[in-house]
Amino acid sequence: MTGRRRQDWLGYLFVAPYLLLFGAFLVGPLLYGLRLSLFRWEMLNATPPAFIGLGNYREAFSDPNFWKALWATLRMVVWITPCTVLLALFTALGLHSLRGRRQGLYRAAYFVPTMLTITVVGILWRWFYHPDLGLFNSCLQAWFGLKAPWFSDAAWATAAIVIMTVWWTMGGPMVILLAGLQGVPVQYAEAATLDGAGPLQRLWYVTLPILRPVLLFTVALNTIGAFQIFGQTYLVTRGGPEYATRTLVHLIYDTAFQNYRLGYAAALSWLMFLLIGAFAVMQFRMLRER
Amino acid sequence: MKTPRRFGSRPDRAKPAGMGRLTLLEAAMLLGGLLFLAPIAIIVLTALKPDSEIVHFGSILPRHATLANFGRVLATPEEFPIARWFANSVLVSGATSLLVVAVDALAAYGLARLNLPGKRWVFGLIVATLMVPGQILLTPVYLLLAWLGWLDTYQALIVPAGAGAFGVFMLHQFFLAIPRDIEEAAMIDGCSRLRIFLQIVLPLSRPALATLGIFTFVGSWNDFLGPLVFLDSAEKYTLPVGVAIFQSSYYTEYGLTLAAGVICTLPILLVFLAFQRHIIEGIAMSGLKD
Repeated sequence: MTGRRRQDWLGYLFVAPYLLLFGAFLVGPLLYGLRLSLFRWEMLNATPPAFIGLGNYREAFSDPNFWKALWATLRMVVWITPCTVLLALFTALGLHSLRGRRQGLYRAAYFVPTMLTITVVGILWRWFYHPDLGLFNSCLQAWFGLKAPWFSDAAWATAAIVIMTVWWTMGGPMVILLAGLQGVPVQYAEAATLDGAGPLQRLWYVTLPILRPVLLFTVALNTIGAFQIFGQTYLVTRGGPEYATRTLVHLIYDTAFQNYRLGYAAALSWLMFLLIGAFAVMQFRMLRER
Repeated sequence: MKTPRRFGSRPDRAKPAGMGRLTLLEAAMLLGGLLFLAPIAIIVLTALKPDSEIVHFGSILPRHATLANFGRVLATPEEFPIARWFANSVLVSGATSLLVVAVDALAAYGLARLNLPGKRWVFGLIVATLMVPGQILLTPVYLLLAWLGWLDTYQALIVPAGAGAFGVFMLHQFFLAIPRDIEEAAMIDGCSRLRIFLQIVLPLSRPALATLGIFTFVGSWNDFLGPLVFLDSAEKYTLPVGVAIFQSSYYTEYGLTLAAGVICTLPILLVFLAFQRHIIEGIAMSGLKD
């Protein structure tokens, strides 16, 4: 028996290399970040790190930059997630009704943008949105004689980020939803057709209810992703105009690596983590209970 | 309805009515697909234009196609060592993929197959961290890397990536699906667990390992925030950060920055074309198995 037990524990040798990395670079930093958030830790300041309890959290709640970043992030999330998931759903439904090679071909076309680096996406869309030389304003100018203030107006700048993000990230949810649709048994739709249901009724009463768990998964995943937007605002709008598009992650980056206030940045990170967690739990509840 | 139901095929009467709609739908899918690909085509076509045609926008297609922009991107290796960045990206992404596949396969096998005490808790903890947004770890991992003396080194980008939970989760689900009989037969023949893993399980899991490897490669290749924060010296940059720096110095010369973008994107597009099915089905699988 004891020999057996020892052999069981020996099996952990398989898991040990991963657990070492997991502890050192994930669980450890996660907890260390929590501790860090309770300290005043400023690298540009000569004063040594000092424990200040919840001071950083208190500072965040009275910091207009934090609230501005929070609203900027929420504004993006409430546009990006519904737009992305709905577009992904419609595209997946369209692709699902095609067969064989053509389906694979179109699927690849919609998926390719997801494969691009944010840098390249940023260069491209910064040029599209450029107020004078950009592709969009050149076309608007030529056709309607007007120009859109993509970078100088807060609402337009938010729209700019939302449009490029939907284009860049729709591929993932689309592929997942398409796979989900392929798992819906054909018999159900057939039975509904025999009972005289039209295509819209079949979609609403048969397909979508079966698809709900997958849909829930995509919505949750996309919300988590949208909360973490950074590259788009960093590269395209530079957080402007007047920080109207500086998201939470962008603010955390600026706080930690432009102003070197590591304790405050850690507190902001944990606030964001709690916010994302609360959102995810809320969504799972809402979609499960219906 | 008198016709007997045939499972797995549509009722005959629905077919002719559906055909017309299907082609209209396909036209819409085609149009949408082209719209999604258009920005990528525009990057390439614009990178082939001489500067005068970019500033005075006349048509999407270049009138006098030229490789001059590519020549100029590669012409200043002291200031913008793009070949070096390319090599760095290959090295970092390749090493990250190898590390992740090796470490995750071992751990996933242990957790899926061996009789480890308390493994349900360990696996639960690992899966729970899938919800943790990467940015929350940024500040603490930065401090940890500083403490290790790893800032501005390649291993700062490679080793922490081995802590991610996605691969362990994915391979765990895959190993569970392999029939136990094969392993039990080998065990009766006196094979050790390690030999079973190396000589039986790994060869059987080649598709899953390839999918994880490709995923990790693409994710690492496209990572922006990590190299931006952890690296200092220009000769260690990976392509996304290098190209972003390049863009900020030449931001008015779109031909140049877009050419740099094409150089950055091409390898990833080739990987995508070669492993399209692996990539897309891997994503679909990650969304459905939970």
